[in-house]
Amino acid sequence: MSLFKKWGAAGAALLLAASVTACSGGGAPASAPAKNGGDAKPGTTTDKPADKPTDKPVELVFWSLGTNGYEKLAEEYKTVKPNVTIKIQNTADQTAHHNNMMTALTAGKGAPDIFMLEIAFLEKFLEAKDKFNNLNELGADKIKGNYLDWKWKQASSPDGKFQLGLPTDVGPTVVYYRTDLIEKAGLPSKPDDFGKEIATWAKFAETANKYKEKTGKPFVDMPDLVFNGVRDQGNEIYYNDKDEFIGDKNAQVKKAYDFTVKGIKEGWVGKNQLWTPEWAKDTNDGGFAVMLAPAWMNGVIKGNAKDTSGKWMITQMPEGAGNWGGSFLTIPKESKNAKEAYEFISWLVGKESQLKSYVSNGLMPSIPAVYDDPKFKELKDQFFADQAISVEFAKATKSVKPIRYGKLHDATDAIVKESLRNVQLKGADPQAEWDNAIKKIKELNKRS
Amino acid sequence: MPVGEKHGFLARTLIYVVLIAGAALSAYPFYWMLVIATRTRDAVYEMPPAILPGPELIANMSHALERIIFFRALWNSAVVSASTTASVLFFCSLAGYAFAKFDFPGKKWLFLLVLGTLLVPQQLSVLPNYILMSKLSWIDSYKAIIVPGMVSAFGIFWMRQYIGASIHQELIEASRIDGCGYFYTFVRIVLPIIVPALATLGIFTFLNTWNDFFWPLVVLKNNENFTIQIALQQLFSRNDSIDYGMIMAATFFATLPLLVVFALFSRWFISGLTSGAVKS
Amino acid sequence: MMNAGVSASPAAVPARPWLTERRRSRIAAYLFISPFFILFAVFGVYPIFFTFYLSMYKWNGLGDMKFVGLKNFELVLTDPTFWTSFFNTFLMGGMGTIPQLILALILAVALNSAFIRGTKFLRAVYFLPNITSIVAVTIIFSGIFANKGIANYVVSLVGLGPYAWTVQYWPVKIAVAIMVIWRWTGYNAIIFLAGLQSIPGDLYEAARIDGANRRQLFLHITVPLLKPFILFTTLISTIGSMQLFTEPYVFLSQGGTGSTREEGVTMVIYLYSEAFKNSFFGTAAATAVILFVFTIMFSLLNTWVSRRMGGEA
Repeated sequence: MSLFKKWGAAGAALLLAASVTACSGGGAPASAPAKNGGDAKPGTTTDKPADKPTDKPVELVFWSLGTNGYEKLAEEYKTVKPNVTIKIQNTADQTAHHNNMMTALTAGKGAPDIFMLEIAFLEKFLEAKDKFNNLNELGADKIKGNYLDWKWKQASSPDGKFQLGLPTDVGPTVVYYRTDLIEKAGLPSKPDDFGKEIATWAKFAETANKYKEKTGKPFVDMPDLVFNGVRDQGNEIYYNDKDEFIGDKNAQVKKAYDFTVKGIKEGWVGKNQLWTPEWAKDTNDGGFAVMLAPAWMNGVIKGNAKDTSGKWMITQMPEGAGNWGGSFLTIPKESKNAKEAYEFISWLVGKESQLKSYVSNGLMPSIPAVYDDPKFKELKDQFFADQAISVEFAKATKSVKPIRYGKLHDATDAIVKESLRNVQLKGADPQAEWDNAIKKIKELNKRS
Repeated sequence: MPVGEKHGFLARTLIYVVLIAGAALSAYPFYWMLVIATRTRDAVYEMPPAILPGPELIANMSHALERIIFFRALWNSAVVSASTTASVLFFCSLAGYAFAKFDFPGKKWLFLLVLGTLLVPQQLSVLPNYILMSKLSWIDSYKAIIVPGMVSAFGIFWMRQYIGASIHQELIEASRIDGCGYFYTFVRIVLPIIVPALATLGIFTFLNTWNDFFWPLVVLKNNENFTIQIALQQLFSRNDSIDYGMIMAATFFATLPLLVVFALFSRWFISGLTSGAVKS
Repeated sequence: MMNAGVSASPAAVPARPWLTERRRSRIAAYLFISPFFILFAVFGVYPIFFTFYLSMYKWNGLGDMKFVGLKNFELVLTDPTFWTSFFNTFLMGGMGTIPQLILALILAVALNSAFIRGTKFLRAVYFLPNITSIVAVTIIFSGIFANKGIANYVVSLVGLGPYAWTVQYWPVKIAVAIMVIWRWTGYNAIIFLAGLQSIPGDLYEAARIDGANRRQLFLHITVPLLKPFILFTTLISTIGSMQLFTEPYVFLSQGGTGSTREEGVTMVIYLYSEAFKNSFFGTAAATAVILFVFTIMFSLLNTWVSRRMGGEA
């Protein structure tokens, strides 16, 4: 086709477009709609976040995660820095929250000034630390001593030179238990006494068996939390400092697995799954007496087990606490106001603010100095029979070890938990399930 | 099915039983959502499940309203869904008409290509499309959601099947002989006949856009621009136990507009629209 | 872009001999389908090419891309979990799609019987599952299939169970299939209904006058004229079942870790967790390419089979 013909055809097509829209008899003109067919005017509302006004005010976009009470604190910050406005975008769904950030970083556009990063996702982002500000350069190294050492290290590069985020809350694990049910089973129910009764895992299993014989009900709610309890007491879990898989050689993991299997076989581990309505109901109905869970779980228990107020108490974990959850505040490189952002986050995770988030939302502070504050220590909780639970949480933070999770920790852990569930619900052979899990995890590691 | 001149008693009963059983099964979860929405947060855990709605709907809804910009989100969803639907109806019926009633070189292959696009899992195009959107500076705007969905392969396929089945070539030729252009023939002859198909496609498109979650979550950053699905997601949170009463109340009110849209469009499913047309 | 802004001026096209009726109709046709292809070029072709490109690289979504050739395909194709997801997809797809289409057809025919009142209302009711939010659906079904839930109660009446619906091989698949059937039957019934209503009433009249009974009417008028619609739903449902994601994902991710459980993992869940859980974008893209190829093959097979069954040459 010659060029002329091509153009001719295109021109003819255009002219034709005019003629196809009406009958030669002169029908109603039907002009084709514009490309944005439809009755809306897209983009007229807010194409971009508000442009910066001309005087000095600064707006910081902050993507926060979960319920944390930061909205109130951000309002309060106005009195500290009148020219800084904090714009909070809160997401409840963890996975979505972090995927959003991933996508923004990949595209190199759309990241906020401040991003709240959950520990489970931290390693992935630590790999991409070149996309974040090193907070040590903004002054983080000066405040390092204020925070729990293990918590701080979670967000540092192995050599400690790079600090990805400032610590928000921690999730030290404790033993939540129902005093009334424990008493009914003829066991001592005061926190200290009950703590002694389950001081080691061996004693824990003994007590659990006693409880089961007396009541015919499981002692704990589910395999997952028992497994976590033992698993988190080592110095490493599935991956070492170089992010190599060591889970098959780590005695602590196997110990956790075997102990959970023992509990399943002896029948003192319930069949629940986290976050299900069934689990919530079981918590309320006394379907089990003990839950091994982090500090922030107290809010969940209160919500799930309304009818049991005053019947719960807390004691320390057998052989030492682990940590589950907690976040960090990071500042992506993209931010044009890194200095102001740093000022804000160091205030937000300062002593005063952390105490406030604990009182309002139960976020366990990561600053040991707070633990001695009378306002913190003397908080009594009716739901927990007026026990000063904050003191127990504080005690638990002391035995937590700094663990490197590795970026495949979650996927790896899910495989192991799946095996435990198969043992419990399908009656599968524990050893075969373990071998299969290890095989799958190695398959997973081939890709990284 | 028993054979009879007219519907026998047995056949009638059977049809009724089928229809009512289907309705009960379809409606039960939806009804259950209403029950939970009108009770306190513990109702979800009651066994046996609660049967009747309770008095808590307003209270639950006001909790939800404290947490999310509900009406703004509804409006966003409405704008996005309505514009997408209008655009899909127009472009897909045109393209379906072309594929059903015209002959042109490459027709078969082009149509296969349209079908081929259905085979790409949506989950994977999220990343490249996000990069594209950020290059266009469309992140956090309606455009990012509306434009990619302006024409759908599903819609073209559907319209082609329907137009092929319901429009006879004679009608088109008659209109052409009257001296009408192709487009005007489409407007004057084809459109009135395919109203039921447009209604069906309209409902599907509207619902799909309304319920879409993945893509809006990725491209909308600012809570003033959130669609209702993303706003609802905000009601879930990990660190306090989930208040199903509140979530279901918000979900229920978010679903109501869909029922309204469905009821409105349903009018157009009227049979016998084609009976006035020339039959072969 | 569309032929925007062109007014219908009566200034007719100079009648050139070149512009025959045939050419005109072709140009009109191309114009009519162009919007799709323009959009498709931007938002469809580019992601597909990107996916193919990405499937040859190792990439975590943030760092540098590393060329690895066909290694990703090898990794995926030698991963037992991938093959598990492959078989699951077909099993659950078949278990969900076939009953769903039959049920939808029965419902549509029943709805189309003129003697029943209140069909408008019923139509809306059948459509409810598809507009009930996935959140509500999840909670409801996790309740139904809980250890002490309704499902176990029902099977106990027949002397079976109790089953662990979220863990055991067949129960997981049955539960997911039931979810799929529940969510999509009404949707397909609406499509069939639109098809049934496109059949002119006087055809039936004419046949009745000729003395055809109801079964003959159904077999010789309804089914043949409904064929385009049956083909349509079959193909769309098939493609849909190849991309089965939402139902098993929400049903099995209740416990936070279960969505990649062996019994319920589908190809798209596999792909999704590769990309967004583990950040292996290379293998995720390779999975997408493999899925793409499978779907094409399966759709072609599907079309071929339905052609043969339709008795068309």
